[in-house]
Amino acid sequence: MTRNDTAPYDAPLIECRSVWKVFGDRSRDAIAAIKSRGLGKREVLSEFGCVVGVHDACFTVGKGEIFCIMGLSGSGKSTLIRLLNRLIDPSLGEVLVKGRAINDMPAAELRDLRAHTIGMVFQNVALIPTRTVLENAAFGLEVQGVAPAERRRIAIDALTRVGLGDWLNRYPRELSGGMQQRVGLARALAADPEIILMDEPFSALDPLIRRQLQDEFRQLTKQLGKSAVFITHDLDEAIRIGDRIAIMKDGAMVQTGTAEEIVMNPADQYVADFVAGISRIHLVKAGSVMMPVGAFTAAPLDALPSAGLDADIDRLIHLVLASDHQAVAVIDGGKSVGVVTARTLLEGLKGDHAPAAGVA
Amino acid sequence: MDLTPWVEAFDASVDRSMAWATDNGGLFFDLVRGALEGLFDLMVDGLIFVPFWLVAIAFGGIATRSLGWKAGLASAAALAFCRVMGLWTATVETMCLVLISVVLAVIIGVPVGVVAGYSRRLTRILEPMLDLIQTLPPYIYLLPAIAFLGYGPATAIVATFIVAVPPVVRLSAHGFRMTPIEFIELGQATGARPLDAFLKIRVPFALPSVMAGINQSLMMAFGMVVIAGIVGSGGLGETIYGAVRKLDIALSVNAAIAIVILTIIIDRISQSAGNSNGGTR
Repeated sequence: MTRNDTAPYDAPLIECRSVWKVFGDRSRDAIAAIKSRGLGKREVLSEFGCVVGVHDACFTVGKGEIFCIMGLSGSGKSTLIRLLNRLIDPSLGEVLVKGRAINDMPAAELRDLRAHTIGMVFQNVALIPTRTVLENAAFGLEVQGVAPAERRRIAIDALTRVGLGDWLNRYPRELSGGMQQRVGLARALAADPEIILMDEPFSALDPLIRRQLQDEFRQLTKQLGKSAVFITHDLDEAIRIGDRIAIMKDGAMVQTGTAEEIVMNPADQYVADFVAGISRIHLVKAGSVMMPVGAFTAAPLDALPSAGLDADIDRLIHLVLASDHQAVAVIDGGKSVGVVTARTLLEGLKGDHAPAAGVA
Repeated sequence: MDLTPWVEAFDASVDRSMAWATDNGGLFFDLVRGALEGLFDLMVDGLIFVPFWLVAIAFGGIATRSLGWKAGLASAAALAFCRVMGLWTATVETMCLVLISVVLAVIIGVPVGVVAGYSRRLTRILEPMLDLIQTLPPYIYLLPAIAFLGYGPATAIVATFIVAVPPVVRLSAHGFRMTPIEFIELGQATGARPLDAFLKIRVPFALPSVMAGINQSLMMAFGMVVIAGIVGSGGLGETIYGAVRKLDIALSVNAAIAIVILTIIIDRISQSAGNSNGGTR
């Protein structure tokens, strides 16, 4: 089953098609039963004693996109990310990278893919203690056989990007946790991959450093035009970093969408509990909290201050407060598409407001 | 039920196979003996030919480099003291016996340990063999060795080698088995070839454990090399054996001191080699 010849030009960078991972001695039988009888996670455990690590994962990651997978420990997110560069083989389903199925890719091609297309950053950083910062950052290039002078130049460049240009000849143990993780990121960037897999890279760091690295990571990824799959157990982090977020529970993806979609429209109680504590001020946009133009009759529309569809609640509060009519017209493509009032803002902040427009 | 006939039959078959090996493997054993004794004589003659103070200074220098000048000075002085006790030749012989045995143990033991570190099946086969070697009284190894190789240093080297191999194999295997999983994943995720992953990831992590194995091996060898005095190994072991038979307590104490000196010097130097590999360069 090869698809490389039929891959469309604008194929997503990563595509998961009904991927399962089942752990256990009888995983083969379990997989057969899943295929033939459509067994679920619970049945697989009771009938075969096998644990389902990843349960029917389907998603795509587009070029330039940062895709966050959020889940608590044991939700299967670390397994899932390892399926994307085949550190773990899927039990069922297929993973396509740039339109090419990696399931039965020969060893040499797989090595090439890992070396040039998919980089990875680990939760415990994995810097080799006997190597300097520079030598660690150059590790990927070294095993690819890049000449010493060349890999030195590239590694210095990558370290400079993450702000460690002055630490080249230090050893990992001389660096703080945040700096070590920057080296990990520089090591991944040095190989210039199109996709970076981030396996809970910041979860061991203290909150201030973590936030700083989150912002730097997002900025750097966007600036370099990379795509990323980012694993985290922290919804705030997922919202800060991700263009889209998938929420995982017990190996299954419960919901996938933008931060706003997930916060405004949680798919089930589990997600709702998660997003309950999230501040909506910067997350929810005018498109989600406006009311239809026709429903607003207190003042003529052209007397209102205006804002775009993507103005966040913080900005809308300022505009509404400054307006004589306590309302803001939402403009899209030169036309008024809705009105935001103090009331709609409060409903949006409260959270169980069912948006009239703007959210799929 | 009387099992005596079976026991006798077993013993007889052991005797027969020993006899068969001696009869048919004569050329092989002569070669082994020749090679080991040749190497031993060459090393001993070389070190005896050099003035003793040069050897003492050389060891002092090595100890200074790895342990500091105090240890260096103490090592040189302690070796000179062996000469003062009139035991220089015996000390040099013992050192050569130990070094040859341990080098052989490393040459054989490290590769076996590396493979065992990767292969669970080999580990399962090796484990009971190593257990057996380490539980049997070390004297046992003198018997087959003397049967095949005769009285002399070759027998001592082979018996010492047998005793020195298990720690090298065990700790090498342990070192290669214990590479943290995230570093193995690092090798895979960067697209490293298996050889690169071995040399650049497995080896740095395994090295401290391998070095600890070599250190253990040296200590086992020092224990065995004294026992091997019984089979005419030469060196301090034979001095002690002779002194014990003549009840020459003074001489046996002197030789024991020389053994302790040699053991401590080599132990400390090999230990620091292991430590320096674990941290910074």
